Amino acid sequence: MVSRWADDDEDAALEAQRKKEKEEKKRAKAEKQRKAEEAEKRRQQQQQQQEAAAESTNGSSERPSKRRRLSADQATTTEDDSASQPRPLLRFDAPSWGPARSVENFERLNHIEEGSYGYVSRAREIATGEIVAIKRMKMEGSEHSGFPVTALREIQTLNAARHRHIVELREVVNGEGGKVEDVYLVMEFLEHDLKTLMEDMEEPFLPSEVKTLMLQLGSAVEFLHDRWILHRDLKTSNILMNNRGEIKIADFGMARFCGNPPPSNLTQLVVTLWYRSPELLLGTTTYDSSVDMWSTGCIFGELLTKDPLLQGKNEVDQLSKIFELCGIPTEEIWPGFRKLPNARSLRLPRTTQTTGSVIRSKFPFLTTAGNALLATLLSLNPAKRPSASELLAHPYFREDPRPKSTAMFPTFPSKAGQERRRRQATPNAPIRGEGKAMGDVDFSGIFAGRENEDVGGGFQLKLI
Amino acid sequence: MAPITGLSHLVNPLATPDQLANSSSQIDGVPGDLEDSVRFEGVKLIQAASVLLRLPQELAAEAIVIFTRFWVGSEGGSLIVNNAKDVASASLYLTAKPSAHPVSPRLLLTTFEYLDKARPLHSVTSRNSVQPEDCFLSEGSYHAARKVLIKTEAQILRTLGYQTHVALPFTLCINYLQALDAFKDQHAQALARRAFAHLNTALLSPQLLYLTYQPPALATAAIYLAAKEVEVKLPGDEWWEVFDLDREELGFLVVAMMSMAGFAEEEAVKWGKRKVPLTADEVQSEVEKRRLLDAGE
Ligand SMILES: Nc1ncnc2c1ncn2[C@@H]1O[C@H](COP(=O)(O)OP(=O)(O)OP(=O)(O)O)[C@@H](O)[C@H]1O
Ligand SMILES: [Mg+2]
Repeated sequence: MVSRWADDDEDAALEAQRKKEKEEKKRAKAEKQRKAEEAEKRRQQQQQQQEAAAESTNGSSERPSKRRRLSADQATTTEDDSASQPRPLLRFDAPSWGPARSVENFERLNHIEEGSYGYVSRAREIATGEIVAIKRMKMEGSEHSGFPVTALREIQTLNAARHRHIVELREVVNGEGGKVEDVYLVMEFLEHDLKTLMEDMEEPFLPSEVKTLMLQLGSAVEFLHDRWILHRDLKTSNILMNNRGEIKIADFGMARFCGNPPPSNLTQLVVTLWYRSPELLLGTTTYDSSVDMWSTGCIFGELLTKDPLLQGKNEVDQLSKIFELCGIPTEEIWPGFRKLPNARSLRLPRTTQTTGSVIRSKFPFLTTAGNALLATLLSLNPAKRPSASELLAHPYFREDPRPKSTAMFPTFPSKAGQERRRRQATPNAPIRGEGKAMGDVDFSGIFAGRENEDVGGGFQLKLI
Repeated sequence: MAPITGLSHLVNPLATPDQLANSSSQIDGVPGDLEDSVRFEGVKLIQAASVLLRLPQELAAEAIVIFTRFWVGSEGGSLIVNNAKDVASASLYLTAKPSAHPVSPRLLLTTFEYLDKARPLHSVTSRNSVQPEDCFLSEGSYHAARKVLIKTEAQILRTLGYQTHVALPFTLCINYLQALDAFKDQHAQALARRAFAHLNTALLSPQLLYLTYQPPALATAAIYLAAKEVEVKLPGDEWWEVFDLDREELGFLVVAMMSMAGFAEEEAVKWGKRKVPLTADEVQSEVEKRRLLDAGE
């Protein structure tokens, strides 16, 4: 196949040539303009001298007002009273734009981690010596539809999300020689991600540390949801941590803006399996920020034990693990769940004795308030989950032990600093733009075995 | 390049004085008024395309702002190098892509093909002379056009440093009218409509109003002008200061918005039945033609 960029080298040479010429022309123009301005200045000076001379003869000091009169009825507001009381007007420092730089401004140090959509390196900006993280964007499908919509959203949402606990996107750069088919995000570098970090920890975080981390996470999620941004891939490997006990949400590869009411055709193929909410697993296409709150609940559980909370092997298994932990949905608990695409054929046990939540017994060391928080975050019914603001206001954070100050956090040796982060297998983020998650799954058998059993036991799921 | 800073619905990136003083096209020898004409034509094309494609006006507005940003500054696009027509279609494509109303390349390209043939858009005869079969893109030309579309989109993104945020003044305008209690007035509907009309026309401004003023300033000026036109009295003497606009800026914006009708008329007279050049080659020959005329005088 002939590359669609076959003519690029030539283009690049031409482009460079043009750029040089343009610089010269610009300089010439600037010089001309400078001369013109000087001439204008001289002219004005002369005029002023003349006016001054005229004034001294006729004694009037009136000069034409710089302000435009807007209309006759405005004339009643005299110039003086607005001038005598200048009101403070709000001024923004407007950002501007310029062409993307090339990745050659950075020196690559080492790969950090290979993800499903890009890969990330630690790098140094040559001019400043600053250490940054550089993520290469996957450009799949660009020959058909151009710049990937997911990459566009990742950049747009990250740009709109300046927050202490969200990773900072510094700039977007192109490949060597300004090659536009290579696009990289330049971000602040953080030493760890929570997933890799926890894998290396002997013991889970202390309760006071979990509180601090949850507050930081909650504040970032609140900020996003306030700005109508859904992250849609919250998980511990997408949460970075520096050596000052600060965490920052990263990986906006699934994020998008989403109004209220949310669009009705959202893909349910979001969120890495273990952090995916039951409504997504049941195939809903209208959902909202509560999908992120579910993931936040899963992360809470993981921080407490350092093991992922719900490790399903596939969508069906994930759903049954959820029901095992959180109980069986009923029309009462979750009105309308039966209408979700994948719930129609769902057969559930008739008895309700053994179908409640077992969250309490799984976290015996967590306080009552902590348990209550975890249980509401993991509400099967999305409408019952707290918003991020409600999460932050939860009594759990006010009871002892108090959240640990970030300054008191232990520092951990950074893996990203030296070598590539090695990570145990976790399900990958979903592949975007594919069909339904669970088109051909028969749910009718899920609880068939359970009805014959007395208590407990795993659910059996059948895939057809 | 300037660092990216937090952007909200109130703040747009603005063109720097240097960008405003040095456009790539002018450095390449395109006279300023020709540049204005071509940009004006390109913007009208985007506007017309989004009507045909039934896209919401906000999308058209965003695309127009992206299109306009592309041409400013010595590092921006040049009309001698880039086809304005391609930049127009790619701007709309790029803006619609992540929105709730994405447009397929085929539909987009066919629409622009039709509109380009139907130009000048103000002329009914030229519009009626276009037959549907004239707009049909053969598979070969579709593929070629899509390639250009994708390449132009990449170039726009690179030129803008992947900065595609556009904050629009429309919602703000409604909020301001509410804050001013204007909806109590019997002419409230007309007032809001006029204000929106001014905001939409300002998108076409050769003074690049959306690249030089923030949404609050644009919304305030549009309300001021609309209130004058429909004779609604707004409270207070200097109510615009509540929205952080000073009298001088208000004056400038109002004059600029009022001058739009005249500008559009002049353009129509200037070009008559001729098509405004929308490709690099056409612009080049127009520049040369003018040079010869000037030399002949
Ligand atoms: N700014 C950063 N500083 C340090 N490490 C980072 C940074 N950004 C990402 N990483 C590391 O790279 C990994 C992958 O990054 P990210 O999640 O953004 O990419 P991805 O390809 O979308 O990943 P995936 O598809 O696996 O979720 C993270 O889990 C983290 O370990
Ligand atoms: Mg990731």
